[in-house]
Amino acid sequence: MYPTDFAVKLTHVTKSFTQWQRDNTGQSLVRNLIKPEKRTIVALNDASFHVREGEFVAYAGPNGAGKSTTMKLLSGMLIPNSGDISVLGRSPQKERIALMQKLGILFGNRTELWWDHPVIQSFEWKKVVWDIPDPVYQQNLKMVTELLDIVPLLKTFARELSLGQRMRADLAMMLLHSPRIILLDEPTLGLDVVAKRQMIDFLKKINKENGVTIIVTSHDMDDLEEMAERILMISDGKIAFDGGFQELRNITGNLTRIVVAMEDSLVPQIGIGRLLSSENGVYEYDIDLTQLPIKALLGQLSEVEGVRDVEIKKAPIEQVIAGLYRDWSGK
Amino acid sequence: MAVKNKVLRILKLFGISARMDLTWLLRDTKYAIAGITADIISNLSTVSGIYLIALRFNGIGGLNTDEILFMMAYSTITTGLFIMFGSGNNIHISRIIGRGQLEHLFMQPLSLKVQLFTSGFTPFTGGSNFVVGCIMLIIAMQRLSLPVTVWWVIFLIAYILATMTIIVARAYLVSSAAFYAPVAAEEISSAAIEGTWLLSTFPLSGMPSIIQVSLLTILPEGLMAWFPSLCLLGRAPLNFTEYYPLAFALILSLIASYVFRKGLNYYVKKGSNRYVPYGFRR
Repeated sequence: MYPTDFAVKLTHVTKSFTQWQRDNTGQSLVRNLIKPEKRTIVALNDASFHVREGEFVAYAGPNGAGKSTTMKLLSGMLIPNSGDISVLGRSPQKERIALMQKLGILFGNRTELWWDHPVIQSFEWKKVVWDIPDPVYQQNLKMVTELLDIVPLLKTFARELSLGQRMRADLAMMLLHSPRIILLDEPTLGLDVVAKRQMIDFLKKINKENGVTIIVTSHDMDDLEEMAERILMISDGKIAFDGGFQELRNITGNLTRIVVAMEDSLVPQIGIGRLLSSENGVYEYDIDLTQLPIKALLGQLSEVEGVRDVEIKKAPIEQVIAGLYRDWSGK
Repeated sequence: MAVKNKVLRILKLFGISARMDLTWLLRDTKYAIAGITADIISNLSTVSGIYLIALRFNGIGGLNTDEILFMMAYSTITTGLFIMFGSGNNIHISRIIGRGQLEHLFMQPLSLKVQLFTSGFTPFTGGSNFVVGCIMLIIAMQRLSLPVTVWWVIFLIAYILATMTIIVARAYLVSSAAFYAPVAAEEISSAAIEGTWLLSTFPLSGMPSIIQVSLLTILPEGLMAWFPSLCLLGRAPLNFTEYYPLAFALILSLIASYVFRKGLNYYVKKGSNRYVPYGFRR
């Protein structure tokens, strides 16, 4: 039996894959006929973490870090090489069918809607397949259609929806069976600002008001910080950080990139952060906003001669993780 | 009680598939009717070619024209059932495996068996061949003045189920290759089944026995219509027992089940890096 005090619990989970390798040389072609060359990729390496019921957890990491693999392990789509996984006290690998009644999964780049049918038809299909009692279905349908503003979309064919509309319809469909845990893999992928805002607000609302446990993956730190209270960072198959966003910032600093575009042949005379690159009059700096507050930064920039454009953006997640490792090795 | 609930659940799943099929038909009626007509014409042209040869030569290999019509009716019924239950690639499963779409099935709170059994049911857009086959069967039976008993009907149903089992088992057996080579084997099921479809409607009576035996064992096209039809006409060929199709279906389905499970086990251990976003639902 698995303990039931956690919504999700991974204990020393390792998951690896093999990838076929080949180049275009004749020698490689012949060698692969006899003994194919393979490379082992470790997606999760002795990873352990837990999530309590009602938590909203961000699961972050660079592309290929093992985020989607974790989602698939939690939903019983993959079997780990070793270690234990428990979701709502059940093993996803052994009790997938029972678990799917309580789990909602959404992959940002996939749809569960029936392509050549109106959205409402997909919802009714879900009602039968998940065996959702009619009062529960009606209540949830009312809730999701109102909150996600999809009433005008119900009669529209899924194939005719925009990406943002499709994601909202998919999200609504996922919630029709009142899942206790939601796994979202890159749900904001490709969404515009308005659609992203709608999705984030909705997720926060159902987490707060309905107590639904949510685990969301993304490689966009800004999105994650908007949504979740706790962040798990994965790198090279290991949990590199587990804590709050403020705690993360205390360790890594508020890493930010400033891109300054200058008028012809002028060089910005500023002493902010570290210059990362300069090309065709565009200068990119790496700064820590905990050391240089945004107000002071803008003040400095406003005094620089010949500035054509300024862009301020969050540092890529890879850099945040690299900062974490630097910090640890410094200890 | 548990069995009753399971049966009711399966009926409900068939029901939603049928309902979605009907709404699809009524929504795009012109296209749906064109599709149904094309299906009927395609299948009738396959079987009518054989029937016309039988008419011209007054039978084929010891089978008279009415017996040929009976065999063609049997073939049309099994083709009809294949189309009626096999929409959505649930029989051509190599497409779902090869395209990395099994994960859509894993998300549902149903066993894979139940999902695959019920998800491709299209009685309205896919039932025309079955109906045409039944009409052809009644005409052939009347012309042959077959003495129809309860046992004969039971055997007819058993043979049709055996033929369907062989078709599905063969599709799943070859489709298992897609677990290991998703790109190369994506279309292996349709290649294996539809590639030899024409052969399955050909009466093998009068052929050298080595060909007949080969087509009843290695490549079981003779079990698609010829052998069961002769059994139902009371003349099991080659001194084989009339239970042979049932035994073959059982053995093949056991082998297919073992190989498919092994492949599925490989899939959940290794996963699939490939994903194609179309074709698992229409």
